[in-house]
Amino acid sequence: MDWDKLVQLIVNGLTLGGVYALVALGFSMVYGILKLLNLAHGDVLMVGAFIGWGVLGWLGGAQDLRVAVWLLIVLMILVAMVGCGFLGVAIERFAYRPLRRAPRIAPLISALGVSFFIQNSVLLLWGANFRSYDSFDLVDVEVGIHWGPLNVWILRVVVMGAALVMMVGLWVLVTRTKLGKAMRATAFDREAAAMMGIDVDRVIVKTFFIGSALAGAAGVLVGLVFGSINHFMGFGYGLKGFTAAVVGGIGSIPGAMFGGVLIGLAEAFSVGYIEDVTLGRLGSQFSDLVVFLILIAFMLLRPQGIFGKKDVKKV
Amino acid sequence: MSEPPAQPPTQRSAQPRIGVDEWVASAEERRARSLGARLEDALDRVPPVLKLAALALPFAVYPLLVDSDYLMQVGIDTLIFVLLVLGLNVAAGWVGLLDLGFVAFFGLGAYLYAAVASEYAGRHWEAQFAIPAIAMTVAAAGFLLGSTSRRLVGDYLAIVTLFFLQLWLVVMLNATFTRGPNGISDILPLKFFGRQVTSLSGYYYVAFAAFVVVISALYLVNWSRTGRSWRALREDELAAELMTMPVNRLKLMAFAFGAGIAGIAGAIYAPAQGAIFPLSFDVVLLITVYAMMVLGGAGSLFGVTVGAVIIVASLEALRGPEDASSLFYFAVVLAIVVLVRPWWRALAVLGGTIAFGFVVHEAAERWRPSLVEGIPFGQARIDELVDSWVLLPVDIVGPDGVPTGAAGRLIYLLFVAAVLGLTLIRSSRWRTIAVVPVLYYAACVWENLLLSQPAVARFVLMGALLVGLMAYRPQGLFGKARVEII
Amino acid sequence: MRKGVIAAALAVLAAAAVVSAAVANTAGPAVPAQLAQCTNVSLGFLGPLTGPAAFLGQEQFSWLQFGVQKYNKENGTRFKTVQGDTQLKAPVARTAARRLASNRNIMAIVGGSESQAVRVSGKLFANARLVSISGSATAVDLTKGRPYKTFFRVVPNDGIQGPTIVRYVSGVLKARNVVVIDSQDDYSLPLAQAITRGLRAAKVTVSRQSVSADDTDFSSVVANISSNIQVVVFATQVATAANTLSNQLREQGKRAIVFGSDGAYAPTQFKPRSGYVSVFAPDIQFDRKARALINEYKRWSKNKPFGAFGPATYLAGLVAMNAIKNACADGRATRAEVVKQTQRTNIPSIYGGTVRFSRAGDPLPTKFVIYRITNGKYSPVG
Repeated sequence: MDWDKLVQLIVNGLTLGGVYALVALGFSMVYGILKLLNLAHGDVLMVGAFIGWGVLGWLGGAQDLRVAVWLLIVLMILVAMVGCGFLGVAIERFAYRPLRRAPRIAPLISALGVSFFIQNSVLLLWGANFRSYDSFDLVDVEVGIHWGPLNVWILRVVVMGAALVMMVGLWVLVTRTKLGKAMRATAFDREAAAMMGIDVDRVIVKTFFIGSALAGAAGVLVGLVFGSINHFMGFGYGLKGFTAAVVGGIGSIPGAMFGGVLIGLAEAFSVGYIEDVTLGRLGSQFSDLVVFLILIAFMLLRPQGIFGKKDVKKV
Repeated sequence: MSEPPAQPPTQRSAQPRIGVDEWVASAEERRARSLGARLEDALDRVPPVLKLAALALPFAVYPLLVDSDYLMQVGIDTLIFVLLVLGLNVAAGWVGLLDLGFVAFFGLGAYLYAAVASEYAGRHWEAQFAIPAIAMTVAAAGFLLGSTSRRLVGDYLAIVTLFFLQLWLVVMLNATFTRGPNGISDILPLKFFGRQVTSLSGYYYVAFAAFVVVISALYLVNWSRTGRSWRALREDELAAELMTMPVNRLKLMAFAFGAGIAGIAGAIYAPAQGAIFPLSFDVVLLITVYAMMVLGGAGSLFGVTVGAVIIVASLEALRGPEDASSLFYFAVVLAIVVLVRPWWRALAVLGGTIAFGFVVHEAAERWRPSLVEGIPFGQARIDELVDSWVLLPVDIVGPDGVPTGAAGRLIYLLFVAAVLGLTLIRSSRWRTIAVVPVLYYAACVWENLLLSQPAVARFVLMGALLVGLMAYRPQGLFGKARVEII
Repeated sequence: MRKGVIAAALAVLAAAAVVSAAVANTAGPAVPAQLAQCTNVSLGFLGPLTGPAAFLGQEQFSWLQFGVQKYNKENGTRFKTVQGDTQLKAPVARTAARRLASNRNIMAIVGGSESQAVRVSGKLFANARLVSISGSATAVDLTKGRPYKTFFRVVPNDGIQGPTIVRYVSGVLKARNVVVIDSQDDYSLPLAQAITRGLRAAKVTVSRQSVSADDTDFSSVVANISSNIQVVVFATQVATAANTLSNQLREQGKRAIVFGSDGAYAPTQFKPRSGYVSVFAPDIQFDRKARALINEYKRWSKNKPFGAFGPATYLAGLVAMNAIKNACADGRATRAEVVKQTQRTNIPSIYGGTVRFSRAGDPLPTKFVIYRITNGKYSPVG
């Protein structure tokens, strides 16, 4: 057994998993309340990554940074969260709210349209170059934890830590605050919640704000840890985040966190071990195949996910 | 909690209504009063054979009207897309199954053709056997996909089919028998009874024949018992099941039928192209086909066909600034004339916008000449006229069309905000007044930012079209508005 | 009421779109097919301006625009450019190529950028007797046996790059254990396969890995690279990806260094602590004469980053404009004449020396140069 590799794969899986979990949370919250698959969510992440990159440039870039690195990271995340939060609210207001009573297919098509619009607007305004966060100049990759087989770059720790903090924060928000209570009530039964005096529209707007802010933060974290971003990145992270939400049980918050970590680990392990397991017949290019197969099997055998409850259809 | 919460009037429409039966009942009556509905009813009274003929006729005469290879190619592309959207319409339009893996069937058809007729495969089947065989095989694949996911409904089906599409892409991109990203580029032409189809117009007519066959078959199916049960399924699956309809079998049939049509499209597409590559069958293609379907009106054969034609034509027209530049003004003027009522108001908006533009242009020129000294990207005659009307600031975008600084980006983002803001104005008088500067703003954004990168701008517009369409007319151009009972 | 009206409006719009698309293309100047004028000449560009490889197409188009404007200013010509977006998709490329070919003002094509675009457009351009000059399509089969009679390229093909990398890795670096990574596109896969074959023939132990073209995280692939590996050859078109890969190797304490293919060449983006990159030309960023050009481009584009294929496309544009100008010496020219003039090209190259083409359409003479990168600084080593 190659322990170095195993440990390293776990670290990689957890990094990715943290990001996926943040994306999955946004998906899951929105789906829980509106029963709407927000396919534009990945593009919100992409916008977050671009906002973070803008903040970096504004503060002088990696070469001659005007502030301390930790302050830079905090600022990037905060600005991206606020920006993406408002973007999410705007998407809800203009693309989804007019469709509350439309057939189910309408909001989905609208979401595809929003995704297309955002992606190509960014391409139009910023061009197609891969943008670099220069994070390897920001903090050298050898700075970090080196302990036995464990080699972790400090920015990886930051990413995992930030993801964890945000998830805990969200958990507290949902379970301990009045807004959280309203969100849960709305998710449980929108009509009944409205009759109980909950301003459903306002709850939906806040949900979108929070979910999109998390995606924005995830975008910055991705840029920091992997170094480069482009207008096209949203789709991949969106798909994986969405997968994580489904595996965890769509609509369930602990499910989304768990699903994210699970998908991240599955991805890392399938890249790491697919060759050994298939005796060299399938190379690392088929790693995505494993992830998707797991998922399809999951969907077919347990469509409600790990933490989800089975839907009983009322007539 | 003592008082019932007062509902602000603006939000009422978004709230679920309790006891809506009366409203539903009167929906038909209210619909019948409108001009659009009367037009729709008149359209319904046209005999179906005539309608089909009217649909096929433009396609039949198109090759006689065009003289360039490019336009023939566009014609073939259009017919392939029409076939695709007709196939998608079966599962997604009639039955309401959200199949996001649909383009994989198209790809499967194309790769199957490569497997039976290419130098790589070392075979060259006659097309009269190959095409039906491929259609059957792909239909069987559709049946399989449908049967694995028949327990899933709604969004879950969408997710699983999207995964299947990704799976398909990974396999095609990496398997050695497909030559991965290098694609298969020595596909042999269609061969009917020993005679090969080699010319562009030949492929056009093959695709046209397939179109006629498919649309006639679909027409017959639509009004058969199966077709009616499909639509019943879409409206209320539970009720349909209670009426003893074989729900599962019907769904599987729809999947197989749609997939088979996509297979035919693929089998014609592969030899028409001569080469196929895995990345041609991706999510962008999927979105494009969905856009065609919803634009025309999901469920309407006539509608989806027209939808495909419109999208292909607009994407082609927006390929380069030469063709695109005048299209924009043409479209805006038409839209105003048709949408703004009464007619004097439309005239006022048009006149107002033109006058507003000249005033702003004049003022800007006096204040800061650099605001009008840019060079227009368009190269058509209209651009010379427009040059003295819109603002063309120097150095907003670089010579390659990408904004050079924050100014260009801010202008664009503010424009998006302005358009969104316009939809919030409720008073129709104020909206008419506000439309004038926004239109002028649109012209400036078009000339400065969009026309400089037409390849990108057309996708931006397509995204905006989807969102706008869903908000204002979710049933598309020719679809019937559906009343969803919650 | 309103909805019906909207429907009618959209229908009319549709008709308008169809008509204007048709009119715009048929209303070209009434010149016989093969005879064109020399006053209103355009260059067509065929490359991915949107989609996942837009970074490549946009960089190339930007350099082409720059070249056309510079050339016009210096020679008093009035060349224009016409975009043909391929979206990195073969069918789209084919339609775009037809559109360019049927535009009578277009006398030469710069592109296609990706090899598959050349495969679907090569015959079509040959039938239209329209020359196409690529600055980045490097697949070997594009010129082998001259399947596309009017296709030229200013960059040497993978049949030359592969062996160069193999020779350097096995001969100079004396590496015995190597990993070759491809990025699942039609540029990188054939190159990676050729390198693997060559290294194995030279008795080097090679293992293969593969990443997808839009991946930005390679840490799990890196975990697969064992510590006795000395060199990782990465055939990629994305310089930032090569950069991330080399840093993630270091992060996990692996001593392997990255050897990038020409797609990774970009001094502002691929800057490992230690690594190599091969590129098809003596770097224009170090040549004193060329440095003026680079500075001019930087000023013009407001400091856009670029790799190896942008300047190559600039050169392709230069070749095309020069050929058209020569063909127009007598005041009128046909596309066939432009093809002939392109074959005879003999102009100073931005890489030093001259640009000339072999019978097959490949550049002559060709040589790959290897750069060693130390702390982000490039220096030629052979």
